[in-house]
Formats: sequence, structure tokens, C-alpha cells
Amino acid sequence: MPEEILVIGGGPAGMNASVMLSEIGVNVTLVEKDSFLGGNPEKFKYKFLFPDLQPAENVIGELIKKTGNNSKVKVLLNSQISGFKQTGNKFDVAIKSPQGDENKIFNSVIVATGFEHFDPARDAKYSYQLFDDVIDIKDLEKMLGEGKFLRPSNGKPPRNVAFILCVGSRDRHVGNQYCSRVCCVVSVKQAIELKEHFPESDIFIFYMDIRTYGFFEDLYWEAMEKHDIQIVKGRVAEITSGPDNTVVCKGEDTLLRGPFEIPFDMVVLASGMEGGPQSLEMADKLGLEMDEHRFLKPRNITLSPFRSNIDGIFLAGACTGPKAISDAITEGAAAAMSAHIYAQKNP
Amino acid sequence: MEYDEKGVSIVPLDFKKEIFKEARKDFRYDEYVLGCLNCGVCTGGCPPHRFFDFSPRIVLQNLKTKDPELIWTMMDEYIWACFQCFTCAMICPFLNNPGGAIAILREIAVRRGFESARKVLKPYSRVLLKLTAYGNQLSPDMIQPDFFPDWGPDISYASADLKVKRKAIPMPTLQITNLSWDVSPEAMKELYEIFDESGVFKIIEAVDPSLYEIIMDIVEDVRSS
Repeated sequence: MPEEILVIGGGPAGMNASVMLSEIGVNVTLVEKDSFLGGNPEKFKYKFLFPDLQPAENVIGELIKKTGNNSKVKVLLNSQISGFKQTGNKFDVAIKSPQGDENKIFNSVIVATGFEHFDPARDAKYSYQLFDDVIDIKDLEKMLGEGKFLRPSNGKPPRNVAFILCVGSRDRHVGNQYCSRVCCVVSVKQAIELKEHFPESDIFIFYMDIRTYGFFEDLYWEAMEKHDIQIVKGRVAEITSGPDNTVVCKGEDTLLRGPFEIPFDMVVLASGMEGGPQSLEMADKLGLEMDEHRFLKPRNITLSPFRSNIDGIFLAGACTGPKAISDAITEGAAAAMSAHIYAQKNP
Repeated sequence: MEYDEKGVSIVPLDFKKEIFKEARKDFRYDEYVLGCLNCGVCTGGCPPHRFFDFSPRIVLQNLKTKDPELIWTMMDEYIWACFQCFTCAMICPFLNNPGGAIAILREIAVRRGFESARKVLKPYSRVLLKLTAYGNQLSPDMIQPDFFPDWGPDISYASADLKVKRKAIPMPTLQITNLSWDVSPEAMKELYEIFDESGVFKIIEAVDPSLYEIIMDIVEDVRSS
């Protein structure tokens, strides 16, 4: 009898795990709460991916195609896990989907519930949702994906744009002490995209530390030497309204100029990643452990980052912490391998 | 602060070390001074930063160096620019409290009667007198043109004929002008006890000995009544 493996979450990690398992002949059931596959990259219409600015279609579109048109992968959209219990080495799962409720025994389970973007409205100093021209990186990514480059308030090209890093990350006030890892490079990427579209505009990035780690650094250097983007060390303390329909960023340039108050046509907040309610829900239903950052906790963060505290349940992607799409895809493959081994050893 | 003819500080290093040790010994110190990301949010939101060369980030960074020399140089003037509004503590992503750390340093300066503290507290001697001796902070007779130039041209009118104006206020005002409200001798005695126990009288003695004598005369009068 062929193995049955359950994958929860249809983002990059869950899709890649499903595709890999299908290729070795495993029957996969993929449960997704949204009405589409692709997770956050699809939801917010990511258009170009860092570090090489390749079209997201090459990655996300490709995975959606391979997962959706796959006879071994049963994709259940708008679906939920309504019941979960362990029977011996296997898992008895109740799934609620538009196709009806079903109960099924699975050999092993992969949880890939991903992340949620931090909601910048939770940090009042950024005046998000107060001014139309204060947006965040997911809003801008969506705008760029839809070919919109103009100011949300009046539809004119922005004369200058500020990117503010570490919004909702590395800040005890909002309860997130961790670094979200990718917002630096996403901001640099978007700054380059905007500058290419509006070569006359001035683009600033306000940072505490720029963490374009590894080869992402190439993009950071390119932003400075090819696109003349201004990088200023100092976190913005307050955003207020300014003259001429502008928004004023107030802060301290900690290296050079000291206090500044600069009016901008557009401000982009680099909001970070959070575990989101879906991971908490899975922790409750499946008996998984959460870590102090409100992400799912791997058994050993270094040796087995894709293994949960329960034998036979594996973790993949951003549900265990902020990460790039490539990392999520790698972890999907690792979790698929581990889930398969578990199923083989516990028939 | 003591300097030689070339303007170089002649305060011995050991004394500066002692001051820093005293600050670190304060029970609040470890709660107020955590890590620092050097992000500048505290300074970006700091009201005095707009008017003076003052930055709570620099204060915290100086404290993080643990260099007694650097900390000593702030005690003379730098820390006195702080408004003690604690905006910095409210917005710091690390939950540091630079304003609180400054309060610790200022309290040392006051306790030890440093010149900087005397200079800053001088304009408040009348308030200190009213507060410690009578339990009132501001009384009508303190509203005088010399002391409140920022109240504008009508301050002379406000300070004239106080007795008549007090009578026009439709609530009990004791019909006097040297106190805002009545404090019973029992309450005053209790206040003195608190000021004694908490060391407030001692601090006033260190900062302003002549003010201390005036206050003590009143205290003795009340206590023996």
C-alpha cells in the first residue's frame, strides 16, 4: 500500500514538499486554508525575487503548476484540519473542505503554515493607515506587481521616497525581538526597482544595521554605486504630515548630521515576519511546541530544524522562523525526505 | 568642576571611578541600562534634542563604555539639558530608560552638592522653601514679575493687589497670599519626618546651606508648637 502523507500549507515550502514526495510515488494530501496555492508570494503578487531579480513566476508559478497538475497530490483549498489524533505510529486526521468532511489515516505529516506580515498599524509612530503615502513593503510589492509606481494619495510620481527598516522587528515594544532576515534585501531590491522607474527621484534607506547577508550584499552595493540610493544610519522616531501633501520622517542621523526632519512623497515601511495565528492553531490541534518568538519550535534548531517535537510530524518553511523563499523550498525538500523515511520505518 | 590653568580637569580619576560606581550601585541602574542598538530613536524623539546639543543615545552609549572619564564629563553640563520627559524610555526598542539613567546621575550630583546641581537648583530655592517648610508648592505671593518674565507683559497686573483678587475667587482661599491652602501642623510634622527619613533635608543642606538654615528655623518653630 502506498504511503499517505499530509502537508498542511500550500506556500513554497508545502508545495515543494508535495512535489518531491509525489516524485517518489507517495500519495500527498495538501490542505490549504486560502482559495489559492502559492502562499504569501502569490497573495501579495511578488513580481521579482531577490537576489537576482528573476520573475517570481519562474519560482512560484512553476511550483503552483507542478503541484496543481499532479495526479499524486490531492489539493484541498479553503480547507481546515478539524480533528487530529495519533493512532500508534500513524495520524488520524479529520479534514473539513468544500468537497465535504473526510477522515483519513496518514503515515506522517508536514506542517508548513508559513508566516504573516507584521501589521505596521500596531506601531503608532509610523502613522501607517493614517497617511495614504505611508505604505509597507508588501503593499509596494503588490503595487509593483500590478505595475503601479505612483503615489497612492494623488497618483503622481514620487519626488523622493524613504524606506524604513526594522518595522516590527528588533523592537521589544511590539514584542518582536528577532530580526526578520529578508526585509533589508527586499527594501534594497524595491529601492532599485523604484529608482529604475523614476531615475530623477531621491531614494533614502534608514537603517540600524543593514543585514543583506551572504550574496544579498551584491544588491546592497549595487544600490549604492549604480543607483545612488542614500543609506542613512538612524531609525525614524516619528512620521507626521508635512507641507505640500508630504509625510515628514523625524529621527537622528547617528553618524553624520544629527537630528533630521525630511518631508517625503512616499514612505515604505519594511515590516517584518510573524508566526501568525495559523501556526498557533496548528500547535494547539497537533500538540506542537511554540518558541518564545511565537513560531513553531524545531526539536533541534541546528541539527534538525525541520523536525517537530512529535515523531512523525515535520516542519518546513517560515513557520519555524523568518526566512527567504529559497530556504523555505530547501526545507520543504528536507521535510519531505524525513517524512518519507518515517513512513518507511513505521509502516 | 575643577580645572587647571590650561582648562584640563584636575579631578582625580579615582573620584570619577567612585561616582560611576555609585551610579551602578543604584538599584535602578541595571533596569534602565540594557543593551543599545545605536538606532537613534530616543534622540529622534527627544524634545531637548531640537534645542540643545543633547542626545539620550550618547548618554546611554557613554554609560555602556563604562569609562568613568566619559561619564564624569557628562555630569557637569550635558545631563542637565534633559527635560526628564521620558519620551526616550517610551520609544526605545530595547526598553532602555536613558532619562532614568540621567536621573540617577543627577541625584548623585545633588546628594554630593556638585556645583552643577547648585547652579540648576538655585532658581528653585523659593519653591523648595515653600514645599519643604509648608507643604505648598506655589503660593500667590510667588507670582512676581522678576521670577516669571515668560508670563508676558500682564504679569505685573497679575501680581498686584493679590489680597483683593483672592477675595474674588468663589471658593475658600484662606484669605491669605503666602499659602495656597491650609496645611495642619500635624501634617507638616509628618512631612518633616518624611523629609528627614528620605534624606531630603540633607540634600538641601548640601546644595544650599543658607536655604537649609531658613527651612530649619521654620521646622523647629512648627515642631515645638
